[in-house]
Amino acid sequence: MLISLDPQDTRPIYIQIVDEVRRALVLGTLAPDGPLPSVRDLAVKLRVNPNTVSQAYRELERQGMVYVRRGQGTYASPGQGDGVERRALAEGVAQRALHDARRNGLSADELIDAIRNYEGKHKHEESL
Amino acid sequence: MTGSLPTRLRDGELAVDTRGLTKRFGDQVALNDVTLQVPTGAVYLLVGPNGAGKSTTLKVLLDLVRAETGTAEVFGLNTRERAPEVRANVGYVPERPDWGYGWMRVGRLLEHHALYYPTWDASYAARLAQKFELRTDRKMGVLSKGQARRVHLTMALAHRPPLLLLDEPTDGLDPFMRDETLGVLADHLAESPTTVVLSTHHVEEVEGLADHIGVLRNGELRAQMSRDDLNVNLRRYRVEVPDGWSGVASLNGTVLRRLTAPREVQWTVWGPEAEIVQKLSGAGGTVREVVPLSLIDATLALLNPND
Repeated sequence: MLISLDPQDTRPIYIQIVDEVRRALVLGTLAPDGPLPSVRDLAVKLRVNPNTVSQAYRELERQGMVYVRRGQGTYASPGQGDGVERRALAEGVAQRALHDARRNGLSADELIDAIRNYEGKHKHEESL
Repeated sequence: MTGSLPTRLRDGELAVDTRGLTKRFGDQVALNDVTLQVPTGAVYLLVGPNGAGKSTTLKVLLDLVRAETGTAEVFGLNTRERAPEVRANVGYVPERPDWGYGWMRVGRLLEHHALYYPTWDASYAARLAQKFELRTDRKMGVLSKGQARRVHLTMALAHRPPLLLLDEPTDGLDPFMRDETLGVLADHLAESPTTVVLSTHHVEEVEGLADHIGVLRNGELRAQMSRDDLNVNLRRYRVEVPDGWSGVASLNGTVLRRLTAPREVQWTVWGPEAEIVQKLSGAGGTVREVVPLSLIDATLALLNPND
């Protein structure tokens, strides 16, 4: 699992870390019972305050995405890659897309239509 | 501007607590009624243009400069009456390196410095020297600004003081060393519980480390707040307005910036988002976008409000 931050993202850093871990769970790059980096290692790697990483890990634990083994570290909870986490991830994408649509004066319906249209036209071009 | 910006933190244990510091150099006002509040364990970013009073504030905390009025406490110790104790608890990186030891070799200076600090961690000092690529056989006087800065960082960190006062710690460092320094600081914070006051012009560099911010201008602390508070309360609103729009009477917040174009207005406002959106909509505007600001944009808005 790779955790990286987008310098353009103005959301609090701990939320960005939570989202990165969620993404890794859904994509499978963080396996069930797989270890997360230590607070210290991740703080050094991202050049962020260790308190911010701790805050993110506490939030992940609160949401049940990870669990802590005392004295050993933080691990991914099993069975998190589907269902709830997928929906949470989709909700985040929807929120950002809708935000962008509103900024451009477009309604949710117009956005959804545009996505379906675009997908129909480009189905064969993009494997995703 | 209507309303005001926060200049006091909410209750909590303070590592640094100054009350109404005022200092003049000749007829120049260096500090004007500065009440700096740094919570224990915080990484407090002190920002402001050159000559705003950042360095002077840090020097008052070490009793290197004495304020005419006001008091300063570090961990509850009056910085004037208990200066040696305060200094023993502080790691300081000065803005301008002191060349008084120009004849001394870097290695010898580190040994000399270690003698003053019972908590000096020699193996950590060696690790830092390696990270910072210090040439211990060189004389201080021949070092570049960046090299001297790295020696001072080593001296400040290696006794693991409870308080670090870092005045432009990455100034003069190349991009690689800047990045390395941020990694060293993150590692240091994870290892040792430390309160940090850091002054810098490179706000975007320390965006990930800072959890509090204070904005100094012309010797006045215009605002100080936690990042959480900043994230919640400072927003940019982009609003579509009808032709010949008469404006909005009050926004229930402190307007820092306003940009006006035909049929569109952009406000940067400190205040409660829901109430501000309600006011804007109620006055006939269509709120298109509400976004938080990056730390550098927030800093510029707080420093240079142009209503």
